[in-house]
Amino acid sequence: MDTLARLENVSKIFPRVHRPGERLRAFASILTGSEPSDGAKVLSDINLEVFRGQSLGIIGENGAGKSTLLKVLTGVIQPTAGRVTLNAKVAPLLELGAGFQPEFSGLDNVRMKAAILGLDWDELKHKLDDILAFADIGEYIHEPVKHYSSGMVVRLGFAVVTAANPELLITDEVLAVGDESFQKKCIRWMSGFLERGGTLLMVSHSMYHVQRLCHRAIWLHNGSVRRSGDVEQVTQDYLAWHEQRSAAEKKQRAAVSGNDGHYRVAAVDLEGAADPDAELPVIEDQLRAEVGLYSPDGRMPVCLVGIERADGTPIYGISSDTDHIRGAQDGEHQFRFRVEFSVSRLLPGRYHFKVHAMDPEAIRVCDTQDLSFQVRGKSEEFGLVRLPYRWLTSEEDASD
Amino acid sequence: MIHFLPQRKNLVFFKNLLLRQIRRDYLENLTGFAWLIIQPLVLLAVYAFVFSKIFQARIPESGGVTFLPYLAVAFWPWAAFSESIIRASGSISGNSALIGKVAFAAELLPLASVSATFLMNAAGYLAVLVVLTLIGAPIHWLTLPVVIVLMFFWWLLAAAIALVVSTLQVFVKDVAQILPPLMTFWFFTTPIVYSAEVFPERISWLMNLNPAAWFVGWFRKLLLWGEWPSQWPILLVPVVIGIGFWLALRFFRRFAGHFEDFL
Repeated sequence: MDTLARLENVSKIFPRVHRPGERLRAFASILTGSEPSDGAKVLSDINLEVFRGQSLGIIGENGAGKSTLLKVLTGVIQPTAGRVTLNAKVAPLLELGAGFQPEFSGLDNVRMKAAILGLDWDELKHKLDDILAFADIGEYIHEPVKHYSSGMVVRLGFAVVTAANPELLITDEVLAVGDESFQKKCIRWMSGFLERGGTLLMVSHSMYHVQRLCHRAIWLHNGSVRRSGDVEQVTQDYLAWHEQRSAAEKKQRAAVSGNDGHYRVAAVDLEGAADPDAELPVIEDQLRAEVGLYSPDGRMPVCLVGIERADGTPIYGISSDTDHIRGAQDGEHQFRFRVEFSVSRLLPGRYHFKVHAMDPEAIRVCDTQDLSFQVRGKSEEFGLVRLPYRWLTSEEDASD
Repeated sequence: MIHFLPQRKNLVFFKNLLLRQIRRDYLENLTGFAWLIIQPLVLLAVYAFVFSKIFQARIPESGGVTFLPYLAVAFWPWAAFSESIIRASGSISGNSALIGKVAFAAELLPLASVSATFLMNAAGYLAVLVVLTLIGAPIHWLTLPVVIVLMFFWWLLAAAIALVVSTLQVFVKDVAQILPPLMTFWFFTTPIVYSAEVFPERISWLMNLNPAAWFVGWFRKLLLWGEWPSQWPILLVPVVIGIGFWLALRFFRRFAGHFEDFL
């Protein structure tokens, strides 16, 4: 496959540079080519490749190193270690109006930016009108950029990039700027760019945009690649991780209530995981589980099972008591329940399979265990579950 | 690895930088343009007065060359040299809007700055030579092509120094304060307002190590006496300055990708 950009074992350490002594030490470390002795390690051992026609999304929390990664990739800053190779005409769109110098006029800055992007004089002369039309800022083009509104700066920056005709466009969360009509213009251009075979490398917090525009994704966590691969999987894992993290905070508060009941959940097994290599069992269509409950007095406990979203939102639960189900008894104290859920209605994401052991009177919850699993797939729907629906067309309305 | 052959896009960018620099520093304000001529003229007048009238500086009496052309022919190239280095020293820290935001060959910033100053001062130099001819000084115009070739190496030397100084200023901000007095020191240790003959014999070898002294001497010899410089350094100049520039460029590029961390 045609590789447009490649990072090999790239690390970046930002040296400390506040005091003069630190600046000199950092200076010496660059001169001698050694690693700075102390500093903030923003990227560690990143490997990635961008293939032609396979747009790549980079996701992660704030401070995960996404923007630094883009800067290293575009050659704006040098990595402390590792190698960066670029084999394409690259147009970076890193910050709002990146590289515009405020004291110069818009036109001056357009010329400058175009030259940096590799347009020569003739090409620029041809395309200048297009650029100005795209930016649509009128006579302001002759004013210093410092008098521009931020929207105007972005429009101008984007307009130059459209003229540069790049093979690889690198953007950092810039789709969400400008007014409504300019956003539409950008998205239209972007779609055209992708249709013409352009490749996109974008950092975004909008999973919607990433899923929409990218084929592959990389999840950066604390400066290293936590997961990479197909965009659906990576974004789902990322979202699930987020949900779980907020759920973990809730749980800590809830965990005070005790575990002093006699009836316990002895074992929970999920069957039928589709992908043995996945971090979590992957369930497709049928979730089958075997639950072992322990009873101290030999009476049959009540088994309550259910599914909740990774953030703790309950979705569906049932109990052996209301369904009048009796478990199989293995010996004096062990009871076994088997249950099967159809999960095909669940939207892709991370879920918990939750089991409660209740006393035989079905009054007290004595013990709780859960197991995480994930549902994979491609979805452009919203919410938790798929509900049967149909769109009512206007002909039907007329016939009513 | 160092690429000496500039890419096409770098040439376009360089041209843009150069034109913009000239426009901003000289053309956009009337006084800037006027001062380009007036300031060296005033300085020239001051030095001419102080050194010829007060200190009674003596110059080698030959060929009817008076103190004024003797000073002017050397003073203008020095002004270009010194001004270009001082201006270019801030070219990295002064362009922080570009550094760390877009990828480009950062060495073009100091190089364009040095070139802009040299070009504008070359215009002033020409004007001065014309004025000198008009007031009767014997200017040997036929040596101009050789002067231009030497000027190129003079520029290359300034560019090499500017690359190093502009890098250092990113790391050590005090360079902006240290540099002007250093350049003044260099000015007075170079035979510009006086003749090289005033040096005592035992330190003249030291002066021979000063490249500015070589150039000043050559410009004088060529323009005032029409003599081809005979000293040995002229053969070494392309090599020495070429190597110096190469080292300076390597030094600069070593740091170029890290500027943003320090700005």
